[in-house]
Amino acid sequence: MHIEQYLDVIHACRFCFMCRHLDPVGNVTFRESDTPRGRALILDRVRMDRECLKNPDFIETMYRSALSGANRYHCVSHYDETSLVLAARRDIVEAGLAPARVNTLAATLRNVTFVVKGKGNVLYFGEFPDLYPNCTIITGGDPGKALEVLGFVEDSQKIFARFKSAVDRSQCKTLIVGEPSAYDFLKDKLTGIKVIHCSEYLLSVKVKNRPTRKAVFLESDFLRNYCGNPSWPRQLLAQSGYELVAFGTNNEESYAVGEEAVVFDELNPELCEKLCRRVYDLTDDIKKDLFITPSQYVKRTLAKYNSQIQVITLEEAVAQREDH
Amino acid sequence: MTSKSYMDEMIRSELAWVVGDEYVQTNDAEKLGHSIDYYWVPELWHDRGQKLPSPDFVVHPATANEVAEILKVANTHRIPVIPWGGGSGSQGGALPVYGGIVLDMKRMNKVLNIDPVSMTVTAEVGINMQHLEWTVEKAGFSTMHFPASISCATLGGFIAHRGTGVLSTKYGKIEDMIMSLEVVTPTGEIINTLPVPRHASGPDLTQLFLGSEGTLGVVTKATMKIHPIPESRKFHAFLFKTMHDAMVAGAKIMTSRLRPCVIRLYDEAETAKLIRRVLGIDKQGAYLVFGFDGPEQMVDLEMVQACTICREQQHEDLGTEMGQAWWDHRYKFFYPPYMFHLPQAFGTLDTVATFANIEKVYWAMKNTVKDNFPEATFIGHFSHWYEWGCMLYARFIIDEPPQAPQEAVALYNKIWDMAIRAAIKEGGVINEHHGVGLKLGRIMKDLYGPAFKILMDIKRVLDPNNIMNPGKMGFPGKGA
Repeated sequence: MHIEQYLDVIHACRFCFMCRHLDPVGNVTFRESDTPRGRALILDRVRMDRECLKNPDFIETMYRSALSGANRYHCVSHYDETSLVLAARRDIVEAGLAPARVNTLAATLRNVTFVVKGKGNVLYFGEFPDLYPNCTIITGGDPGKALEVLGFVEDSQKIFARFKSAVDRSQCKTLIVGEPSAYDFLKDKLTGIKVIHCSEYLLSVKVKNRPTRKAVFLESDFLRNYCGNPSWPRQLLAQSGYELVAFGTNNEESYAVGEEAVVFDELNPELCEKLCRRVYDLTDDIKKDLFITPSQYVKRTLAKYNSQIQVITLEEAVAQREDH
Repeated sequence: MTSKSYMDEMIRSELAWVVGDEYVQTNDAEKLGHSIDYYWVPELWHDRGQKLPSPDFVVHPATANEVAEILKVANTHRIPVIPWGGGSGSQGGALPVYGGIVLDMKRMNKVLNIDPVSMTVTAEVGINMQHLEWTVEKAGFSTMHFPASISCATLGGFIAHRGTGVLSTKYGKIEDMIMSLEVVTPTGEIINTLPVPRHASGPDLTQLFLGSEGTLGVVTKATMKIHPIPESRKFHAFLFKTMHDAMVAGAKIMTSRLRPCVIRLYDEAETAKLIRRVLGIDKQGAYLVFGFDGPEQMVDLEMVQACTICREQQHEDLGTEMGQAWWDHRYKFFYPPYMFHLPQAFGTLDTVATFANIEKVYWAMKNTVKDNFPEATFIGHFSHWYEWGCMLYARFIIDEPPQAPQEAVALYNKIWDMAIRAAIKEGGVINEHHGVGLKLGRIMKDLYGPAFKILMDIKRVLDPNNIMNPGKMGFPGKGA
């Protein structure tokens, strides 16, 4: 079983409560099983008795995890509970036990074709090509990350191979990635091309010293807790004239409403709505505050459950200041 | 279908009528999560593949009224109700040993009011303590309650077990911090204790429910003190040749009526084992750290006085840096792999006594463990200090306990029985801040003597059907 590669995590987390306050799902369902301890306990039971893998309650619990990196980041020993859950999902899929909605979602994610257009030396992969006038553009869909987090690792590799083939055809040497989940997925996987996040690129090319506007920056869980918390997004927003206001009561929790699970809203819409409500509840004035997020997923999801919220992506925020 | 499964569905439907279907769980994932707390015995049983007692229903109420209705359902069917906060108690206090309803309180997590004039906060007690502290801090204050379990335990959990935090020496234990409580009695009445903790209006009901571990009712709301964020907080550490020298210094700091926010003294064995591992101080002796907080001038003045007291004993001055390092890493001791863990057997034999008795208690426990259980290591530190004495956080560790779980648990219980009784004989008590729970209930009669009957009578009057957390704190089990 793939979970057996994470025995150290199982043994560390199964009786440990120290990061439970940061599990975004546990904080809205109040369930013990929706915490790293709860999931590690379940997988310890599965490890001892493989028949338990078939337990539908256990399977559901694994697919309810938001895979937030906040818990791992908080842990003084950084035990990787998210990778343990991903391994469990892989075991579930390979045993043919994935829930029907997971299989349906996976089928749509397999149906993707990547198209490359333009002749620039730099390739852009994201949802805001207008910001990159001289770049070659690659479009299509998720490059394999979503299938990977659902547990379909072989399918994920096939999609990634398609993506890589399209990238290779472009002959570009630099790839700019907009969505943090895709950046996390591609930065160490692609060879022969430099992968950078859009904020790092825009920081180097955009104009400075504009008038300020207050905004709330919703951290990307991927950028902060998976990718070493780079300073580019904040620097870029400051450079673009935004004065960033702290959100929530602390700087440890993830308010990324399931960004880490990539297709969390498609998979668990009711649960995702609860994650969004937690964000709305912490907002000082939902009608007046401007939220900026690096993630299209976060923007789309937050706007879906409350149309009053003003939320834009980091790239849109930069573009708006250009128009100013 | 069996009669039990018929009745289970009837009861589930009744509970769902109160809180909604979503908040009554009967699935295996939740049952497993609520069958193990931070007590070593269920951890061992799980590790060895044993089946654990689990709840029939996990219920998440949202209001005191819902709690009251749930307790009425439980009285009708005579089924146990076990309040559950963060589940991180070390005494088995929240374990559903007879099944029944686990009343998971985490949904009651609202901060209801912050009163900046009186400096109090009122909150529902299912709130995670770290979340409460963050909210209070955002308003410019602090609860000053910083236990190692701050991130996992709820406010209600601390109230249930008379919990404490690192800064207890200045700011008190939870029973000193709480102003008043809202409680749902076992028969379903919602009551409030008096709004202030100092009065001459009869015995104090707040203190009756504090530490009652869910056996006398369900605490649903609490008002607690909050404090301004101190201008300055500073630490200093010394290494003493012996634990006794360090104890003399620590006691003198307290009896001279200086007001440190924290003092912590590690015996020679724990200094060698844990202080070396976590802080990297590789020296022999007893490590003492203390801190002061408040206006900087006062902090500096008290710090000078405390350091002068320490220098009267044989010492090595480790300075402020090694004191600050302890504060910065104060929670690290409790994360894996720094915390003791299976296959080790381990337990915290914590107790508290006066300065006149505390070293006698220490040696009585240590010698008991050493003489009777050569396979066990005994370490200890003194972590909560008062004007009259301090708390001993002693621990035993067995690296290779017996393989058979029953044999391992029997050995484990025997160490507790002997060590705690040795402490009581020298003026100690069962516990200082972890509570009694399932683990130590059998020793309550020895501790209280004839006075235990009063506690039993109170329990009987308040909870005539014995639905509330039966079998804990030395009270009768289900059907007893």
